[in-house]
Parts: sequence; C-alpha cells; structure tokens
Amino acid sequence: MTVQPAGRGTPASSGTAGTSLADVIDTILDKGLVIDAFVRVSLVGIEVLTIDSRIVVASVDTYLRFAEAANRLDLSATEKGLPEVVEGVTQARAVSQANEPAGGALEAPSEETDEIQEIAGDVVEREEEPRRARRREDG
Amino acid sequence: MSPRDRAAEAEETSPASVNGSASYVYGIVPTDVEVEPGTEGVGQPAGEVRLVPFGQIAALVSDVEVDRPLGRPKDLQAHQRLLDQTAAEVPVLPFRFGAVLTDSDAVVEELLKPYHDQFADALQEVEGRTQYVVNGRYDEQAILREILRENGEAADLRQQIAGLPEDATRNERMRLGEIIEGTIADKREVDTAAVVDELSDVCEQLVVREPAHERDAAHVAALVERGKKAEIEQAVDELTRRWSGRVEVRLLGPMAPYDFVGTS
Repeated sequence: MTVQPAGRGTPASSGTAGTSLADVIDTILDKGLVIDAFVRVSLVGIEVLTIDSRIVVASVDTYLRFAEAANRLDLSATEKGLPEVVEGVTQARAVSQANEPAGGALEAPSEETDEIQEIAGDVVEREEEPRRARRREDG
Repeated sequence: MSPRDRAAEAEETSPASVNGSASYVYGIVPTDVEVEPGTEGVGQPAGEVRLVPFGQIAALVSDVEVDRPLGRPKDLQAHQRLLDQTAAEVPVLPFRFGAVLTDSDAVVEELLKPYHDQFADALQEVEGRTQYVVNGRYDEQAILREILRENGEAADLRQQIAGLPEDATRNERMRLGEIIEGTIADKREVDTAAVVDELSDVCEQLVVREPAHERDAAHVAALVERGKKAEIEQAVDELTRRWSGRVEVRLLGPMAPYDFVGTS
C-alpha cells in the first residue's frame, strides 16, 4: 500500500514528499493563524484568488456516482483471490490519483485549472530543496 | 547580529515605502533563525523572503505587489514549502495563506509588538514538535464490496438496477447511493477512532479534520515530538498492514503545525 515515505529520505526534503496540490490546499487555506484575528488596521485589500477548499457535501451527484460504481462492480472478482485483485486495483488508483490533484472535487477558477493540473505533477515529483530558514549557528 | 541591528537593517532594505508593494506574512519564528539569501516567496515575480524581527520573535515576510492577485498554485506551494522546510528545523507558527500587511512597520507595530508574548509562548509550545497528517482513503471497490456484503438492502438495490439505464432506475440508484454514503460515514467514524487510538501514544496532540474526500476513512493531524518520527511511521505502517487492500493510508509531513495554532 502507499505510505508516503515521510521523512525517510533526508530530513530537509521530506516535508512535501508525495504531497499533492489538493493536500496543500487542505492545509494552507484551511488551517494556520489568521492575521485579521490579530490585525484589523492596515490589512491590504489584496485579491486572493478563490480556490475554495474542498468541502465534502453529500449530494445527488454523490449518490448517483456511488450507485453507478456499485453497478459496475464485478462481484465475481471476490471469488478469486480477493487480496491480490484489490491490491492491483489500489496501486493503479494510487498512481492515477497522483495526477489528479483534486479528485474531481476541487472548485477552481477555470483559467487556473490547467495550471493546477500542470503543477500538481511537479509537486509530486519535487526533489530535495535546500532548507530555507534555520537557526543561526551561534543561536 | 543583535535583533536590534537586524531590525534596523530590515527597515533600510525594505521597499515598503515604494507604492504598490506590501508585506506578505508566512509565519512567526524565534528571532535567532536565519533565512537563506535568495529564498523565493509568493508573487510574480517572487519576492525574497526575509525576517522582520521584534524582541524574541520575527516574522517571515516577503514583498508582494498589491495589484497582482495571489493564489496561483505556485503561490500556494511557495507558502507551504517555506513553512514546512522551516518547521523541519525550528519552531514556526504558520499563518493561513493570504496574510498581507501594508509594510514592515505595520508587521512590527500591529502584529509583532502587540502580540509578542502570545507568539513567544506559542513558539515554546511547538518547540521540538512538528505536525503530520494521516489520511486514509477507502479503496472504492473494496469498500463497495464490503457494504454490499453487509447490507442486504444495498445488495437488492444493486440487483434491481443491474443492466437497466440510469433514467429508468433513478429512485433505486438514489437510495443505493444514499446507503453507501451513509455507511461510509459510519465506517469513517469507527476507522477514525482506530487511527486516533493508534496514534495517541506517539503524539502530543491530535486534531480530527473534516474529511477531504467522500471516500476518506480518516483525516487526522498529529503534533509529534521531532524525535518520534520513527514511532509515528511505525504506527502508520501498522494501520497500513491492518487495512491492506481496504484503505490506502498516507502519512504527510513533517510540516508546520498548521492545525495546532488556532486562535479560537
């Protein structure tokens, strides 16, 4: 199965190993300190593009998609060595999801979408980067 | 260099007075941290990341043009990369994407000075700790098989729609999908509890996140002592083994402690 090798490489490179753009969005648009909880005076009115964080809401579409997936399911596969079959499927899926940043649920401005898909591949393959900020030696 | 010297330098070199430029804030670090020269931040062209220090703390900032929108994938990645690489070595309080103040003076006067003690305390809290996210996702085929095996009504509905067009079986499909969705939500609750149980011994704090996907089995953020990396990897390996073929388990991190710096 796919456990991301978090930190199993060199420490400096491990931070974003296997991280997709979708993971980035889940984290940095949703979590972290919010500056206007602290500061109200001189926040600049800069436009932040609205790539909404993904919110999972069960909908008619969800139901119909699940039903169709169940309909397509080949139950006969259960009779011949299920673990092997499932494992193969899962691995194929893991690969395809890596190139599919949002799992279909990401709402993004359409002009950004191409770039997102382009770059999401890069995120997955990103190599080691030099550390950016560290404690001074004399600190 | 003393914090005071660095502050003076930051003011001199800051182009904050130039029209149309503002200070993008990534996070707060202790003042004895240094930023590698040439580190690129958000924006186009990318601003160079620098420190704006005050007392025992400093803000990681870079200049951005106020007339350019932020939020391209590159911007998001620059924000996360800087914070995560920083967090790999030193304590950092990450800001959510999109925090911008008018200039370096505003960063000092309105952010660092008034909240100095709170930030310094919070940095103590995360000192030596780092965040991981454990995300489990059900394998679609495996979870559907499991549900059809366990739920007689679902299995019947599947028989009823077999070979028939969607239009003719819409009600049955809606009901089947609803059962699947609801059953996954129930299973998610159980499996999230299992993840929490497995991780609780190796981490300082846990936050259960909202599911990020309709097939999420668990989405949990963990604050972990830096020295316990092997332990959390082991815990996740154990989950992976237990759920082999059923749930794909991913361990993301180490990353900045985004889920543990909430102001609420």
